Amino acid sequence: MSQLVVLKDVTKVYQAGITGALSGVSLTIENGEFTAIMGPSGSGKSTLLNLIAGVDRPTSGSVAVGGADLGTLGETALARFRRDHIGFVFQFFYLLPNLTALENVLIPAQLKGKVVAGRAEALLDELGIADVSDRYPARLSGGQQQRVAMARALINRPTLLLADEPTGALDTHSGDQVLELLRELNRDGQTILLVTHDAKIATRYAARIISVVDGKIVDDARLESPDRAASEVIRVRVAEMSS
Amino acid sequence: MSLKYGVLGLLKEEPLHGYEVKNRFEGMLGGTWEVNVGQIYTTLQRLERDGLVRPVGARGDRGKQTYELSPEGRKALDQWLGEPESGPQQLREDIYVKLLLAARIANGDLRGMLARQKRSYLQRLRDLNRVEERARRDGRVDLARLVRGALLHTEADLKWIDELASERFGTEGKETK
Repeated sequence: MSQLVVLKDVTKVYQAGITGALSGVSLTIENGEFTAIMGPSGSGKSTLLNLIAGVDRPTSGSVAVGGADLGTLGETALARFRRDHIGFVFQFFYLLPNLTALENVLIPAQLKGKVVAGRAEALLDELGIADVSDRYPARLSGGQQQRVAMARALINRPTLLLADEPTGALDTHSGDQVLELLRELNRDGQTILLVTHDAKIATRYAARIISVVDGKIVDDARLESPDRAASEVIRVRVAEMSS
Repeated sequence: MSLKYGVLGLLKEEPLHGYEVKNRFEGMLGGTWEVNVGQIYTTLQRLERDGLVRPVGARGDRGKQTYELSPEGRKALDQWLGEPESGPQQLREDIYVKLLLAARIANGDLRGMLARQKRSYLQRLRDLNRVEERARRDGRVDLARLVRGALLHTEADLKWIDELASERFGTEGKETK
């Protein structure tokens, strides 16, 4: 595995009253990893994601993705970096309401000057929403909208897929579908960074769990994935009948 | 979990002999319990003595005896099923006491202990997730539900550890003597 994301001593200071600051964060993410970032709200986990995405810049320290030091890029180059390397999925989808599902998916490719209708349709099909490709977002369920957002995030074959609470606005069933899709993408080699506050979800899908508290990484755990028998993981105690 | 009511519950579905009771239990709990077939035979004999089950027919192969619920057994089972679980919360894991003792002994600095415990809970959550997914894939709904309960419990344990970690032990003044 090679290093895809390298953060060195990153600090982000906001004006008083705005939470989410980071202080002295160093972190390396390898190609192909499925990493979860956990932490209470205001801990800085979304800030961390935004810095890696090149949406925001650190106050000090450096962020490098795929060998490119984002700090050296001007605004235009940074926008191009985001378009070419980052796929972003948000809690509230952020689809454009006046475009159909298919048109939404195509936006990032059009920004790149590419016509990839075939790939967009294939993606929609892969994500199980080919039959609603000509619908407008208002006529899609939450789960469908999030899958359209995923297709949009994937259309330019991003180096890194970032997902910020992607199931936060979905019911359990739709949420599970979205997470299963993330898992399949990761199995095919997609590097994924998932922000979640749900430890059950984090440990189910990610083998690496980074905990952020008060703007610092307080734990970085790589978990094992052995096939343990149920009896090794759970013991039900049985009280014998007294004589 | 009380073996007595567990046996009564399975017999309510249909009459069974001891070995079948063991197999049904394992089907339901996926081998996550520790009872040998001898304990089940003993339990069946005591339930018979107390009039809650009764033998059906003659002993079969290798002395296997099938039992069914008696009306008294049915009543006892229904009553047990209808009562919510109450009484004191059972905190069986050492960690609950370990942390309190360590706070006194280690001058209040629990950070290392909390961090290690957190890792352990995260790994357990991952293991439980995998067992739950496998159980669902294998169609073992009972086991999957049990594992789901364990998952939620472990999540609560993890939240407790996080709360303690954010409390910063030792800076909060004197602990209760």
